[in-house]
Amino acid sequence: MSVVTKVWIDEGCIVCDACETTCPEVFEVTEDTCLIKDGVNPNDFSEDIIEAADGCPVDVIIYEIAGAEDDAGEGEVPAEVEPEAAPEQVAPVAVAAAGVAGATAAPAGVMAAGEGEDELAAVMNGDRSLHVLFGSQSGNSEVLAATVSKKSADYGLECQIHDMDGFDLASMASMKRILIICSTWGEGDMPDNAEDLWQAANADGAPNLSGTHFSVLALGDTSYEFYCQSGIEWDTRLGELGSTRITDRVDCDVDYDVPAAAWMSEAMAAIACVDDTGTFHADLVEQMKSKAAGDTSAAGAGVAAIVVLPEIQVTVSIFRYDAQTGAAGQDTWACAIPGHHSVLDLLRTLKATQDGSLTFRDGADSDPSTGLMVNGRLVLPGMARISDCVRVDGTLRVEPLAAYEVIRDLVVDLSTYQNMRASSEPWFVGREREGVNTEQAVMGVMDASVATTLHASNDISSQSLLHASSDTVPVNPDYIGPAVVGQLWNRACDPRLSDKAGKRILTTLCGINGIKAEADMASVSRQGRIGTIGAGNLLEAKNAVLGEESFSGRHGKHVWWFTWTVKSSGLLNETILAMQTMGPLGMMKNLPQMVRMSAGFTRTGGPIMRDKQSFLAAVGIPASIGKLPPLVNSSVDNHHEVVALFNAFDKRF
Amino acid sequence: MAKGYKYAYYPGCVAQGSAREVEDAMQGLARVLNIELVAMTGAACCGAGIMKQANWKLQAAINARTFAQAEADGLDVMTPCASCQGNMHEDLVKLQSDAALREEINEVLERVSGNRFEGTLQMRHLLQILVEDIGLDVIAEKVVNPIDFPIGGYYGAPMQREGACGDDDPFEPSYFEQLIEVLGGKAVRYAGRTQSVGFPSLLSEEESALKMTAAVLSDAKQEGAKILATACPLSHVNLDTYQVKAGKVAGVDTSIPVIHLPELVAWALGCDKNRLAQLRTRVMVIGD
Repeated sequence: MSVVTKVWIDEGCIVCDACETTCPEVFEVTEDTCLIKDGVNPNDFSEDIIEAADGCPVDVIIYEIAGAEDDAGEGEVPAEVEPEAAPEQVAPVAVAAAGVAGATAAPAGVMAAGEGEDELAAVMNGDRSLHVLFGSQSGNSEVLAATVSKKSADYGLECQIHDMDGFDLASMASMKRILIICSTWGEGDMPDNAEDLWQAANADGAPNLSGTHFSVLALGDTSYEFYCQSGIEWDTRLGELGSTRITDRVDCDVDYDVPAAAWMSEAMAAIACVDDTGTFHADLVEQMKSKAAGDTSAAGAGVAAIVVLPEIQVTVSIFRYDAQTGAAGQDTWACAIPGHHSVLDLLRTLKATQDGSLTFRDGADSDPSTGLMVNGRLVLPGMARISDCVRVDGTLRVEPLAAYEVIRDLVVDLSTYQNMRASSEPWFVGREREGVNTEQAVMGVMDASVATTLHASNDISSQSLLHASSDTVPVNPDYIGPAVVGQLWNRACDPRLSDKAGKRILTTLCGINGIKAEADMASVSRQGRIGTIGAGNLLEAKNAVLGEESFSGRHGKHVWWFTWTVKSSGLLNETILAMQTMGPLGMMKNLPQMVRMSAGFTRTGGPIMRDKQSFLAAVGIPASIGKLPPLVNSSVDNHHEVVALFNAFDKRF
Repeated sequence: MAKGYKYAYYPGCVAQGSAREVEDAMQGLARVLNIELVAMTGAACCGAGIMKQANWKLQAAINARTFAQAEADGLDVMTPCASCQGNMHEDLVKLQSDAALREEINEVLERVSGNRFEGTLQMRHLLQILVEDIGLDVIAEKVVNPIDFPIGGYYGAPMQREGACGDDDPFEPSYFEQLIEVLGGKAVRYAGRTQSVGFPSLLSEEESALKMTAAVLSDAKQEGAKILATACPLSHVNLDTYQVKAGKVAGVDTSIPVIHLPELVAWALGCDKNRLAQLRTRVMVIGD
């Protein structure tokens, strides 16, 4: 058990009473701050103090643990996180690309065992830099580059990863070891981030690369005509510029794991045998492989891969709010910061160097409760690179999540989501089922494809962030939100679920505050990966719920009649849709709007009467009766094709 | 003669129905800017985010048919509707990236229409065409009636996602603001310009949709806009037709003239002077 030797309160307490409730023996909350009671021995209340610190919404409780003098409260407090470099100007700056070089394990001390030991050791002296350039559209190449970086220490290499976007081609001439990982986009096109570098490589002034060695890993898709074209072109071009191909290019289909691993094994072993003078020792490659296979210490140390990006000028505007005074506004700082630093790095540095009262949730990079809105994007700040978020004009606006009540500055009250989740009870209640004996216990079995689908639909980095993605949530406090809908839907699709639990979950999903309350999935789907997954769940749930209810009720009718009018003419018929969805009473309640819509004029002076359709609607002929759509809406050309598609894909309409 | 541009023109259902003023303006601005609009008389409804709630594959198939028609002419598709852009772009990406789905749909499509969708075209919105193809400098030269008011541009949510909004930033876009400045106006940036107004649920989840609409209108007004221009004729229904009701439901001031993006451009380029005069009268004399 950890023994707390010292505890104190940092600036920024919001006097929420949570600590005093947890441990009244130690904490005393006054009107404007929290105090540690006189004469208290923290040793006696270690567990409670740690619990109170964990529960502090603004992380101002700091403690020290015996035997860890420099380790105040693991991941607790922003103020305790040392900035990576001291500020040099006004700015929280220059946070060191220097940390990058130090992040990769040094090759010193890596020795080859057995015969040839001296030769291998000689090769591994001096400059051991390895440069990995990635060209990536979807991120796969970048992930593979990171994997190379992690493995590089096994080969005694010091790896630096470079995004092709912004990379200076001229600098390549001075590099001895280069690995290219590049995907192909569209019809044989370079990824967006590789296009400029590719143009430079083909320009007249392209450098001579005769002193360099390289290998290429090409990613592609065999269903496209120009399979791995970008990688092929890089492979050819680097050769033309005089670089020496150290191993043959490897082309990968969409399932790239195995061939990519094989390429890494061969290419890294070979390129590691290029010595300080740029000479390749082919006879040592097998020994290098053996050495790398037997020495995993560096990889085990979990060396982080860092893509080095140049320093950029940023004007940061941060939302500030003080609950005690009700004052709200923005603070702005001008900074210069390496583009690969995260937004969380930036906030920590600002807090440490500029304003200690700046309040935000700190934690691990992937901590799901740290979510923020950065230039309109919902992000986990530890996972969001400055270069990916900053606007072209250099501005970076950091705000709290709009779906929640703000406690202070960037800290919001996540209980809205947590309470919604608790009340919706997306818990797993299993049915009795077949199992298999294992050494540990009897375990159930599941079809692998079902398990994969279930896992993928629930692979959300932050549910509280997903909850905030819907534009409906702020206007409808009763809506359970996209995150809870997704979790319920995930349960509903789980074949292990009991019938009773399945019915309960479906009832919640079908309710007025369930999936039907989501007014526009587009606001969810645009929020990156979590939005895509979240909106996918919403859509599947809505498909299921409307089908289950046979398109009854206002929501069902709305979708049904919309789709039906498309089948009947190829186009949406707004008159029929409104009539059938709202009914006569609803039409009367919205009479001014209905007249405007059917007549086709606007509040800014559009023409009232335009054609036969307007005339029919304006004089009150009920356009929904009988077979009027063909009269009101002319059909699209070859309308029978639309009908045929309906008949092929959904005969319900 | 200046270089001409040619697109398969997909107006969207509302521009052919309750918002015919969009069609008027499109024809005018296309004439002035030397854009050839190739009518897609066989194109069906894109689904508007609603049809996929019944069956997403059916919607994808309907849109694949539309894409195949444009592809046969070797043209990209252009629409003045942000909802159509968002929906059709989403389906286009889905069809381009999923070879099995593409083949399944093509098998039926080829049988019923003789066409196949190969995935070679692009789906683009008028706003992207104006900024990326035509060019703001060219437009600036052709402005004859500057619309010199503070104007808020409304993008909506469906189009503002990676890839669907061209090279613009989905979350901090600037195309509309750049265009407004070129047309003589003062661009008003407000947070709600990429938020949804809940059009897909206007008839079924009215209260939420109206509150979302009111939030956008109120935000634009508070930031100083005297006119709102929308890139989405569907959202125009919420923002204009339901404006008064939205204000009442949300209890905020929502009164502001709302015009379509094509109208803003066409009027500044000298088309339909009567409508522009009416707008000026409303803003300068009548007020909100």
